Amino acid sequence: MIPEIGHYALVLALGLAMIQAVVPLWGARLRDDTLMGTAGPTAFAQLAFAAIAFAALTACYVYSDFSVANVFENSHSAKPLIYKITGVWGNHEGSMLLWVLILALFGALVAYFGDNLPATLKANVLAVQSWIAAAFYIFILGTSNPFLRLAEAPFEGRDLNPILQDIGLAIHPPMLYLGYVGFSISFSFAIAALIEGRIDAAWARWVRPWTLAAWMCLTAGISMGSYWAYYELGWGGWWFWDPVENASLMPWIAGTALLHSAVVMEKRNALKIWTILLAILAFSLSLIGTFLVRSGVLTSVHTFATDPTRGVFILAILTFFIGGGLALYAWRAPVLKQGGLFAPLSREGALVLNNLFLTTACATVFIGTLYPLALEALTGDKISVGAPFFNLTFGPLMVPLLLAVPFGPLLAWKRGDLLGVAQRLTAAWMCGLITVAVTFAITRGGPILAPFAIGLAVYVMVGALTDIFERAGLLRVPFPTAIRRAGGLPRSAWGTAFAHFGLGATLLGIVCESNWNTERIVTLKPNETVSLRSYELTFDGMTTRQGPNYRELTAKFTVRSGGTVVDVMEPSKRNFASRGTSTTEAALLTRGFSQIYLSLGDPAADGALAIRLYHKPLVLLIWLGTVLMVFGGALSLSDRRLRVGAPKPAKKSALQPAE
Amino acid sequence: MTRKQRRLVLIGTGLGVLALAAALVLTALRDSVVFFNSPSDIVEKNVQPGARIRLGGLVKPGTLQKDADLAVRFEVTDGKSAIMVAYRGILPDLFREGQGVVTEGALDTAGVFKADAVLAKHDETYMPKEVADALKKQGHWKDGQETGRDASAVKKP
Amino acid sequence: MTLWFVLSLMTAAAVFAVLQPLARRAPLRSGSDVAVYRDQLQEIDRDRTAGLIGEREAEAARIEVSRRLIGAADAEAPAASVDRTGRRRVAALIALVLLPLGAAGTYLMSGSPHLPAQPLSARLDRPPADAPGERSIADLVGRVEAHLEANPEDGRGWEVLAPVYMRLNRYEDAVKARRNILRLLGEDAVRHSDLGEALTGVANGIVTADAKAAFERALRHDPNEFKARYFLGLAAEQDGRPNEAANVWRELLAGAPPDAPWTGFIRESLLRVDPSTPMPAGPTADDVAAASQLSPEQRTEFVRGMVERLAERLQREGSDVDGWLRLLRAYMVLGDRDKARAAAGDARRALASEPDKLRQIDELVKGLGLEG
Repeated sequence: MIPEIGHYALVLALGLAMIQAVVPLWGARLRDDTLMGTAGPTAFAQLAFAAIAFAALTACYVYSDFSVANVFENSHSAKPLIYKITGVWGNHEGSMLLWVLILALFGALVAYFGDNLPATLKANVLAVQSWIAAAFYIFILGTSNPFLRLAEAPFEGRDLNPILQDIGLAIHPPMLYLGYVGFSISFSFAIAALIEGRIDAAWARWVRPWTLAAWMCLTAGISMGSYWAYYELGWGGWWFWDPVENASLMPWIAGTALLHSAVVMEKRNALKIWTILLAILAFSLSLIGTFLVRSGVLTSVHTFATDPTRGVFILAILTFFIGGGLALYAWRAPVLKQGGLFAPLSREGALVLNNLFLTTACATVFIGTLYPLALEALTGDKISVGAPFFNLTFGPLMVPLLLAVPFGPLLAWKRGDLLGVAQRLTAAWMCGLITVAVTFAITRGGPILAPFAIGLAVYVMVGALTDIFERAGLLRVPFPTAIRRAGGLPRSAWGTAFAHFGLGATLLGIVCESNWNTERIVTLKPNETVSLRSYELTFDGMTTRQGPNYRELTAKFTVRSGGTVVDVMEPSKRNFASRGTSTTEAALLTRGFSQIYLSLGDPAADGALAIRLYHKPLVLLIWLGTVLMVFGGALSLSDRRLRVGAPKPAKKSALQPAE
Repeated sequence: MTRKQRRLVLIGTGLGVLALAAALVLTALRDSVVFFNSPSDIVEKNVQPGARIRLGGLVKPGTLQKDADLAVRFEVTDGKSAIMVAYRGILPDLFREGQGVVTEGALDTAGVFKADAVLAKHDETYMPKEVADALKKQGHWKDGQETGRDASAVKKP
Repeated sequence: MTLWFVLSLMTAAAVFAVLQPLARRAPLRSGSDVAVYRDQLQEIDRDRTAGLIGEREAEAARIEVSRRLIGAADAEAPAASVDRTGRRRVAALIALVLLPLGAAGTYLMSGSPHLPAQPLSARLDRPPADAPGERSIADLVGRVEAHLEANPEDGRGWEVLAPVYMRLNRYEDAVKARRNILRLLGEDAVRHSDLGEALTGVANGIVTADAKAAFERALRHDPNEFKARYFLGLAAEQDGRPNEAANVWRELLAGAPPDAPWTGFIRESLLRVDPSTPMPAGPTADDVAAASQLSPEQRTEFVRGMVERLAERLQREGSDVDGWLRLLRAYMVLGDRDKARAAAGDARRALASEPDKLRQIDELVKGLGLEG
């Protein structure tokens, strides 16, 4: 009965979504409170039924009900409970169900918190949100139904792949989805504004926090996926520029741009039309990210051959929402009132620059990701566009942006004073330059550009703190006063500082890791020693151990630095003999922010063991930086104050620090 | 500044950045794109030694030989032609004879493919897409084999 | 019945969610731009008092927000109040009629309301008397796998596991197991063709190049190996050479012992490539086609009938070890453990003089968990 209840709940959710997509819209057009009033309750009911459907599928996984085809294909009765649950979204159908569940959840949240929105805006937003939901319910029911049944439940499910059973891999997709789907709110708000032909003041007040929340989830999701690849794939890479990663990076970049332009819009009532476009783009890229690239629609004609309905359906949905959104934008955007004025040299101007570079960088990633697909479709040539392409395009575009990052928060709204800000950033660029000089001195003969990149990172980090120091009056007023003032600063200011500092930290980690990463691949016999940087690793020997369903070959290494024992590292290789697969469990030794990374190759017949050994300087900063960014986002999100950007009066007063 | 001037500044900067990006993309596409080839492609297209390419196919069973100092040699085949590949380093966990593999590197003058990267995807049942296509072309791959395994479950390379 | 009750309850809840707001008379709570700007003005005052912004900045901001406030107040139009019972009725009608009808229609297109849930625990309990059933298979497989983890060179272990893997549709594992068998226990025709069969399973019934090679190796060991010949025929059919396939299968039939259990199967295949094939009694293509249109219960009956026929035949000619093996598996599939056990006893008696065949029976019995 459970699977059928889930199936029917999904159908009811579709029905409610269709009602919610039409009735409130009709009501908003006629300004009929009663009709608009249906939006809220239907949104809650839709969430309830989507949740029932999801819970039913989860129950089928937990109880190993193999009469459900989807469970049979993707689960196994002997899987640990946690992986039975995470297995729900480890396949196409289940992940689609999770997707609509999150979509319904966001719709219900708007309905719940949206009492202070103008009634027509709320009705329109919920209706648009429901169009998206309805399209995906139809997609699921029509082409990817997880509740299809098998008359006779087979003995045993089909899938039990040890490599995919990893907690990191289990949490990372829902985080990404929260991010992707979170942008649907911004999208719905943008479309609703276009339908109404005006942007309310409440509009901006709403869009920024939702975008911020979605952006935080996306940041965390991408970062988690990257760390998973780093420790699990056994060769220490953390970013591959492969299409699936790019698919999550593109909405992230667009979302970052949206975040910044929404600030301008919220505080200064400017950049309205541009913000709307970005909101449409961010969600469009999310859609492309989840469906186009991953479903293989473009990558291969064969995908169409095996399941034509699914591919065509996805294309139809993408065309409808992306094409429809952009067409509506082209038609209605001129109707919207232009926002406030500002000088090119102002906080607004800096944020426009940020948006310009971010969207351009996003476009280069887009080209790099889709060009091979397009080329294959047109000429049949297969090419791969890899890291060199992105390093050459994405990299240079980031440099001016990073140079500008510390300026943004220090510039005044409306009209700013570039020279004054440059003066106030003295500490930052001095630190940066000193770092460049010192790095050059230490790493004589190394990569030429790397010291500059390090300097840039330091400059961004110090620059991020400058704003806080200045506003707290550190070094100018007595220390306790400064601390008190710093504590009294708006949390959004702290949020900005943390996020920008995190950006610098990530950059520092990336530059150090990719330029001064030491790699050694050697074969060792027991009791032999290999040296890496200032460390010496002695291979003590191997032991084999029996795990629950694998056999583990563990090697023991003693790590010494200058003769004293630092630690012991025990990388291993697990062999799942009955399935014939093996996984490499790398050993990581953390020293400060740096890590020693050790993974095993195959043992040779004579007892020698091939190992892969890396010293990765400051590598942890890559992920700690993203943690700081998310934390900064959370701080800013928790800032419940209304946000008004107070412009400076026209008279010259910009040299005084704003307090 | 008047509204018009401001707009001009904005548009000017925008176009400047776009032009910079376009220039970067075009140079990068010319210099850093790597073509994918099956062994038959290499034979038929007469790929020049030294050109950086990707080579994909099945590891021909019985051809893997491991030498001293982590050097390995194996043949990659698409059922029609086979190319000898030389590599130094640790092979990925999923590397196995008879399974799909993608290597990146260049041919040397003797016709041996010197690979500096060997990629095997991390789901044992997942065939790298290019390899699957190349094999389909040679008729060694049936569509039925592709069933049921969804890419979303297998995200990373 | 319970299911229909629950589904109607859900429908009622959904309809209520739409009707309830339609019945409301009170005007909607609604925020407005004026409210936002008022909040902003207060915020500026608070910031000023807290010393976060200077007086001049605060003044500038106040002026700007006030300007927007005035604009917003002008723009706010009074809500039109018109008679809206008509619209409400339309909306209510949609919810009351279209929602249940649409939902029911959509659901019935793809749902399977007649199928009960079959969670693992329920399936394990089905023959409540001796629950082990499938569980014991999973357990046994796990135990044998664990044993093989420790002793991967134990060929006999793999031999036990391979047919079970085939039964569980774990073809890839079966391929590995059968490769190991060939490596550890030596090559013979049957082992090669078993490998080919597993490879074919991996490819969802397509005889791949690998599988074909395995069957050809089998024929080198024994040109009469039945399974290999059958599959090579199938390969020919899949490669688009139906005449060759027909020839292979015809030869097989011609050389078959009159009562060989697989003749019906071959005829059926033959019929596909050569519709003129005469069909003698036995499970014909028609039977099979009929079976596929039956309901699950009827199909079980049909299978039962076939199994009884097989059992009868084996009573007469007990030396057909393949027949016995199939019979045992068939009983297990049907859930008849007692009959399976009895059949195993019969088989042992009938094959007592042939230790090789006896061993096969014993292994299957062990593999199915029928002992003890």
